[in-house]
Amino acid sequence: MATTTRREFFGLLSGWIAAAIGAMVAVPAVGYLIGPALRRTLPTQAGAGTIADLPLNQPVQREVVIETRDGWLKGGSTKGVWVVKLSTGEIRVYNPHCTHLGCAFAWNRDQERFLCPCHGGVYDLDGRVLAGPPPRPLDTMEHTIDGDRLIVTYVDFKSGASKKIPI
Amino acid sequence: MLKRLAAWIDGRLKLGSISHLLLDEPIPGGASWVYVFGSITLFLFVLQLGTGILLTVYYAPTPDHAYDSIQFIEREVTFGWLIRGLHHWGASAMVVAIGLHMLQTYLYGAYKPPRELMWIAGVALFILVLMFAFTGYLLPWDQKAYWATQVGTSMLGTVPWIGNLLVRAARGGTDLGALTLSRFFSMHALIFPWLTVGLIGLHLFILRRVGPAGPWDDARAKAVSEPFYPRQVFIDAVAILIVFLIVVGMAVWLPFPLADKADPSSSDFVPVPEWYFLFYYELLKYFKGPIWEPVGTMLLPALFYALLFALPFIDRRKERRPARRPVALAAGAGFLLVVFLLLGVSLKQVWSVPTTNPGVVEGRKLYAKLQCSACHRIHGEGGSFGPDLSFVGAQRDRDWLIRHFKNPQAVVPGSTMPPFDLDQPSLDALTDYLLSLK
Repeated sequence: MATTTRREFFGLLSGWIAAAIGAMVAVPAVGYLIGPALRRTLPTQAGAGTIADLPLNQPVQREVVIETRDGWLKGGSTKGVWVVKLSTGEIRVYNPHCTHLGCAFAWNRDQERFLCPCHGGVYDLDGRVLAGPPPRPLDTMEHTIDGDRLIVTYVDFKSGASKKIPI
Repeated sequence: MLKRLAAWIDGRLKLGSISHLLLDEPIPGGASWVYVFGSITLFLFVLQLGTGILLTVYYAPTPDHAYDSIQFIEREVTFGWLIRGLHHWGASAMVVAIGLHMLQTYLYGAYKPPRELMWIAGVALFILVLMFAFTGYLLPWDQKAYWATQVGTSMLGTVPWIGNLLVRAARGGTDLGALTLSRFFSMHALIFPWLTVGLIGLHLFILRRVGPAGPWDDARAKAVSEPFYPRQVFIDAVAILIVFLIVVGMAVWLPFPLADKADPSSSDFVPVPEWYFLFYYELLKYFKGPIWEPVGTMLLPALFYALLFALPFIDRRKERRPARRPVALAAGAGFLLVVFLLLGVSLKQVWSVPTTNPGVVEGRKLYAKLQCSACHRIHGEGGSFGPDLSFVGAQRDRDWLIRHFKNPQAVVPGSTMPPFDLDQPSLDALTDYLLSLK
């Protein structure tokens, strides 16, 4: 009996050492594998043209070039945001993705609505949902005005959610 | 619960006899701390395999991206610095471990019959470890990597007649470039690992067929015998844990910064190989000219490996007691003496320049505290508003630097650098640090 316990004792100790080493490698390894995938992309600020030439109540699409980081690759990516000057004088900047599943919507001049071609989402000038599946109004983005220049803080939001969740 | 699961699996796979086969191998003379080196080497190989696979998740083996992807791993990936550190220091530990394993085998005469085949497989594994080290050194694609590999592959060119062909085959072309990096990556990450796994399998298979050698004294070997499990397993596990903790400690506390990104056009970079090749690097300095150079670069290593492979057939006496093997022991000791002498000479030369000047350490701290790196770059770290300081020590002298700190615009008209109102010791330390950069 004594020999069995001794055998088991050494076996148990060896097992614990193996488990300790395994854990010390496995924990960093899991972080290593999923860490970069969980990183939030920081909002980037980009110029979106001038404000003097914005027509009243008539949304226009403006291109903004945002800095992108894809791992070790740095580059720029062009996004077309919707800018509208309301009759109150307020300027709104809409994220160009439909809040339903992220399709690109467009302003229809005749109907004076934003129409999404994918699943028939319809929004008015204020971004309110008039028809279709979108779960929330259009996503507005923060902006500042520097002299005549419009500076947009570009952020994408989770599609399909009833609340605005930055991604 | 666990026991029931184990019994369920065992009932189907019948693992009992396998575990008996794996664990109950008798060890002549009993378990001992002397036998840990093989297990340690095997553990380190598994660690290298694991960390190496993790590194490939983010590494890109092309000259455009290799350096940036390593920096990404080092700076931005969670625990990336640790995984790369373990792989880097694990490689050094592996060279040490396999070296000690071979020395133990040599001292104990364990290469003698009937274990010749095990020794031969072991020598092949040793060469693979060195090839791993050589190919892995290029992968970060920094100046060190590029120029050391330039030198390493050029050595093949000293072989008579077929030298040029060998160099081209190694580099994948006339010059070191994209094709070199991708084939080195393929060798390092795919070809060599598979070869190593196969050879380790063979090495262990032979071990189980012929059995471990045990003590050199036959009487002691026969007196006691003890199964591999549990005591030897436990001793191995403790030794492995110690080695693992040392490697982790080195990964955490010993930095090994990347040099600048590989620049094929630079002409002033002096490459230094990894420490385990230093003795050979030093030795090569003694072989000069068209006759002697190939002797150093080719003939001597070829002879050395041939001698290692042939050792069990050259030294065929059954006697294993070191005291009765004066020639073998003297040869081994002589070899170690030469290696360590050369290593010592080389280390002295490599590290003789930046000696332990406390000012350098102090200056480096000041450099960080004053946030000089916001504008200046040292070996790829820092901003680019101001001049790159990687080699400033070779470009400026002490007097210039101190005058410049006090009033940059007086020395460099139009400079945007703010003046630094430091006391004299701080000025001296910061200058010491900058002068050490060359």
